[in-house]
Amino acid sequence: MVNADKADDLSLINRFKAGDISAFEEILLRHQDKIYNLCRRMLGNSHDAEDAAQDVFLKAYQNLNRFKPESSLHTWLFRIAVNTCIDYKRKPFFESLFKTSTEGDVFVIERPADSPSPDRLYESKQIDDAIQLALSRLSAKLRVVIVLKEIEGLPYDKIAEVLDVSIGTVKSRISRAREELKEFLKKFREQK
Amino acid sequence: MRCSKRKLISPYIDGELNEDRRSLLESHLNGCRECAQEFEELQKIHMLLSGAEPFEVPHGLPTRVLANIRSKGKRRSADLGHIFKTLTEGFAVLVLIVVGIILGGFLSKTRIPERGNVVASLSLDIFSPAPPDSVGGVYLAMTEAKN
Repeated sequence: MVNADKADDLSLINRFKAGDISAFEEILLRHQDKIYNLCRRMLGNSHDAEDAAQDVFLKAYQNLNRFKPESSLHTWLFRIAVNTCIDYKRKPFFESLFKTSTEGDVFVIERPADSPSPDRLYESKQIDDAIQLALSRLSAKLRVVIVLKEIEGLPYDKIAEVLDVSIGTVKSRISRAREELKEFLKKFREQK
Repeated sequence: MRCSKRKLISPYIDGELNEDRRSLLESHLNGCRECAQEFEELQKIHMLLSGAEPFEVPHGLPTRVLANIRSKGKRRSADLGHIFKTLTEGFAVLVLIVVGIILGGFLSKTRIPERGNVVASLSLDIFSPAPPDSVGGVYLAMTEAKN
């Protein structure tokens, strides 16, 4: 199935390289869900996620001729998406919404005063808010590995390829991210 | 002091442990309360995140992406046109400057001999013999008398 997808992607890329622009539209339709969801989880809101997703596909369009067939289009697009989302975080407007935490270049969203406690969210149907709130407590570095692992379901070796780091680094970052999420949920339970 | 097997819990949840390590951890979890509790907590987080419903892509996103690509393409060709126009104008100015320099050089060369004559004639006028009654004439007469 994965190989069939890769073969389909390669055939679309070859059509695009041969000058068939409509092949890009097919690539866009095939990958928009994954890319939009990655941006949405990374940036936390639909407006920024859509802007970022548009940027990702624009960059992909401009660079597709340089795509190497030995890599996977899916991984390549994820890499562009991760870098685009990290660049979004560097924007001053984005920074104004986020405060710097103890980890240096880590941006942490403030929990809205009227939002329900994570403990209640944890057990309630507002699961999505709980996820977004939990993810927003993580640094971009840790957030991206946990999103790629837990939400996109990528194995460690694919995450390593997307982020251009070793599998050992992926493993330790996922472990750290889970530890931080656990501590965050524990603190909120204690506050309750 | 943390249990040394604790670091295996996260890769175990992700299905990234080999058979031997998986069996080792599974039997360890039966006997180690600390690790069993950690596993339970991390498993809850895993369930929470991996069970997340995917977001729906905003309606019309592909259309907007394609429109964006087209407008960027147009802007790019417009930019290229602007660059070409600027370069052409710059080149024309450069040509004018070079032509100006060459013509200037040519004209100045043709006028140099005339200017040389003027300078020479002026010099002759200036150094023409001083009238005998003038201070210059008296000085020259005195120096000639000494020699």
